Amino acid sequence: MNDTKTNGPKILEAIGRNGLLLCYALFALFPLLWMLILSFKPDSEMFGSPFVFHPTLDNFRAVLGQSDFLGALVHNLVISVLAVCLSLIVGVPAAYALARFQFKGREDIAFTFLSFRFAPEILVIIPLYLIYQKLGLIDSYTGLIWVYQLISLPLLIWILRGFFEDISPDIESAAQLDGYTWWQVFFKVLLPLIRPGLVAAALLCFIFCWNSFTFALQLGGGRTQTSTVAMMRFLASDTVHYGWVAAAALISALPEVILAILIQKHLVRGLSFGAVKG
Amino acid sequence: MASVELSGLTRHYGKRVGVKNLSLQIADKEFVAIFGPAGAGKTTTLNLIAGIVTPENGNVRIADQDIGGLEPAERNVAMVFESYALYPQLTVYENMAFPLRSPKFKLPESEVHERVTHYAKVMKIDHLIDRPIQALSNGQRQRTALGRALVRKPNVFLMDEPLSHLDAKLRHSMRAELKEMRQQLGTTTIYVTHDYLEAMSLGDRIVILDGGSILQVGTPDEVYFRPASARVASLFGDPEINLVEGRVTADQAGGLTAELFGGAFRIPLLSVELSRALPRDGKSGARERRFTIGFRPADVTVEHRYGDDAAGTGAAGTVYSFEPLGTKCVVTMTAPDGARVRALVPGRKQFRPDEQIRFNIRSQDLIFFDAGTGDYITRSSPLMEDSIHG
Repeated sequence: MNDTKTNGPKILEAIGRNGLLLCYALFALFPLLWMLILSFKPDSEMFGSPFVFHPTLDNFRAVLGQSDFLGALVHNLVISVLAVCLSLIVGVPAAYALARFQFKGREDIAFTFLSFRFAPEILVIIPLYLIYQKLGLIDSYTGLIWVYQLISLPLLIWILRGFFEDISPDIESAAQLDGYTWWQVFFKVLLPLIRPGLVAAALLCFIFCWNSFTFALQLGGGRTQTSTVAMMRFLASDTVHYGWVAAAALISALPEVILAILIQKHLVRGLSFGAVKG
Repeated sequence: MASVELSGLTRHYGKRVGVKNLSLQIADKEFVAIFGPAGAGKTTTLNLIAGIVTPENGNVRIADQDIGGLEPAERNVAMVFESYALYPQLTVYENMAFPLRSPKFKLPESEVHERVTHYAKVMKIDHLIDRPIQALSNGQRQRTALGRALVRKPNVFLMDEPLSHLDAKLRHSMRAELKEMRQQLGTTTIYVTHDYLEAMSLGDRIVILDGGSILQVGTPDEVYFRPASARVASLFGDPEINLVEGRVTADQAGGLTAELFGGAFRIPLLSVELSRALPRDGKSGARERRFTIGFRPADVTVEHRYGDDAAGTGAAGTVYSFEPLGTKCVVTMTAPDGARVRALVPGRKQFRPDEQIRFNIRSQDLIFFDAGTGDYITRSSPLMEDSIHG
């Protein structure tokens, strides 16, 4: 009797908790499932019954074969990777400076970086467009990589700043006393310590750049068209290829998923900030 | 192995004083303990020697060489940090080998191995050598940090409160080990601490630092028995020294009497030096001077008072608080004039708060400070060494 008394509520609790989680998982994953279904649906059955259809690979064939979507993927990859690299080169020293040095307006500068993320892209796109036109940066890799810094740099700086702050300055001093120059200290001691944060931040930056739409749409063009913009062309006013869009979206989600799986180990540590306390 | 000379070092942090015009000479192979309260500038002094911070004024000389312009790596000093500052991504072995693999102090790997294993044994961490730092206890981390400093043969060891984060028991045993080690090492060492027992037991000399300035430099005995000022006396020792206002009078025959607690407690004294410290004038022949009088809690004895024993010796008081510490106990009393007096009483006596007691002060251990400036004037009786040296 005692067992049922104590176990009864426990079982109910377990059922309730898992039930709720299941509901949430369905809620969260259903759009993905819907996209998966759409990508395999022929155009003719697009508006028929949701789950009963004759699966086909025509959508994928069309996206990869007939259009220049592959080219757009390559554009996106080049621009996103270079944008993240530039962010790393600029952002790591910036994060270090903001974490370590006491200087006038330090918090203001840090906040300014963060504030780049506040304004919606659409708000600044018109002035940016005019400036880019004057500078001749429209439809150029340089222009897009530059403007993507608005997306990736603040993120990188703020994540890495936390990591640098968690490293005791004593460790740097100790390494210097142990006979290393500042650069050697940076590469031998600091970099290994911030690596989880570096990896996680770089991945997040890549995802945000990869998914960026507004800047690429307005400041890009034929030579630099990214996959996000290319997808939109499947939604023309006369024919709307929902199946193509779904297939293209699935394909362009793949690199992110693969990257995330590859560096999962770092990601878990990196996103739980301050995991490097000695 | 080298002497260290600091002259006129000044460093501020914003408006806060780190150290102010600090000068100090440390002989080769000397072990100097820098003692002071939090914020006294102890760590700043070490950082200035190590080159981690640069002085606004003054210079540092090691082995008669001005090292002001040198990078920390060039100074060949080893430091043990309060936070240990171990490299969390490395194992114990790699941490200890780190300085020996640096471009500056590079040794062949075979010698690195030899030295690291040797000092791991000395520090009794040889069984932990492959563990990551995270898997170590505080005591083991502390040993690793010491080991990392020892593997090099630096000019100077700098130790910044290396024992302060250890639990009491470990701290005592490490203190004993350090004392033994310093004899073997024979390297100039500057040891920062806020624990007066560490300073007393380890230091050849003790430097008392407060507010960025040196208050006194001396041997442990000098600092303890002849503190340069009332401030030094109050910083040094636990429980804290009793400092009370009092006066000393001399009668016509030259007999001295110290009056404490507004005259409620009188001690006859015999001291030539104290007699000299009294003003000469006074037509009546009576001479007197006000002092701040210090006496250590261990020099106070306390007795229970039964009934109305007006004839008892010493001063009457009431117990304010009572802390038993095993073989000793600390009794804080309220003297007749309201002053608080701390006593360190041996044995297992019991006192209740508000109990009526009598206390006595050993007359040979009074320390007299100027009532105004707090400067040391004299003791009520010379120390043993004084009488030996004349």
